[in-house]
Amino acid sequence: MNRFEATKHLLSRVDRDPVIASLGHPAYDLFAARDRGENFYTWGSMGLASSIGLGLAIARPDLRVFVLDGDGSLLMNLGSLATVGWVRPENLVIVVWDNGEYGTTGGQQTATAHGADLDAAARALGAAGTATVHEPRDLATAINVARADPGPWVIVAKIAESTPSVKPPLDCVFIKQRFMAAIGNPEAATIGGRT
Amino acid sequence: MVDAPEWAAGVCAGLHAAGSRHVVYVPDNPLSHVLRVLGENYSDVRTTLATREEEAFGIAAGLYLGGARPTVMLQSSGLGNSLNAITSLLVPYKIPVLMVISMRGDAGEWNDAQVPMGRAVRPICDAIGVPHVTVGSGDRAQELVALAGRTAFGTRIPGACLLPRRVTAPTAQS
Repeated sequence: MNRFEATKHLLSRVDRDPVIASLGHPAYDLFAARDRGENFYTWGSMGLASSIGLGLAIARPDLRVFVLDGDGSLLMNLGSLATVGWVRPENLVIVVWDNGEYGTTGGQQTATAHGADLDAAARALGAAGTATVHEPRDLATAINVARADPGPWVIVAKIAESTPSVKPPLDCVFIKQRFMAAIGNPEAATIGGRT
Repeated sequence: MVDAPEWAAGVCAGLHAAGSRHVVYVPDNPLSHVLRVLGENYSDVRTTLATREEEAFGIAAGLYLGGARPTVMLQSSGLGNSLNAITSLLVPYKIPVLMVISMRGDAGEWNDAQVPMGRAVRPICDAIGVPHVTVGSGDRAQELVALAGRTAFGTRIPGACLLPRRVTAPTAQS
């Protein structure tokens, strides 16, 4: 499966759960698969998608928080797995689109193309559950389990590059305000109040 | 009440007054006093330790999206580790975080390696659009931290409180 197909499979199973997408191709494919208010597209801060997801999961235990990370991005912030393993938010699901390359920057290989195992790393650093999947059917099963059982979950999905052709909105404040409104954060109020 | 230095008690009271109930941090010797006061006197404030300062700002951003008013505490050396998070996440998305920064490399420093970054903290904050205030004495800490926090969360622009060594160092060596 390629990342775009995998992203569509994921979106078909997460209802209105919030999804935090790492910058570049993971965010582009999320937008292309289905734009929705519950999508938070990052335009920078490479490596921090799982950290943003952790913070949201702490603040909103009522939500099941999905993160769409890349192998290169997660490798940039591997300490995040240790923090997630320590805090152990039951409502956090980190999906790693693992294509063994820096897809957004031209396809340079990552360490996962040379044996680095992010599933084993997540387990070693305290994730409650992990899975490595290669097929849409297995991805669907893993997502269903991760939505039902206590996390934190780390799902490493081995995917092929999918060369996205569209990009999410570039206005960061719009992305944020729409996201906060979609998850019911009153800070996102877009109508005026009393003076 | 625990016997804490005035500046540390003031930092805790100030961030609490600004509505912050989550502190994400990377440890620092002076800041250990703040953590101790939070642990003993502020049971409604949750603390989370990050492996690295940039990660702390990512966690804080997620906390804000979820409705919290996050504080990030770090040593000034860690500001260098955090610049991409601040400049490509917090500032463009208007995600406010109250930063409490324990200074190194300023008056009283003994370690050469801390000086270049310490000298650069204020120019860097100015260059990236992060307002900063220096807590000049322990008795001003509560007022200035609360003010910086209220301003940050009101304007949705991250803001920093700098704690100089001459204020914190009598209680710590590094």
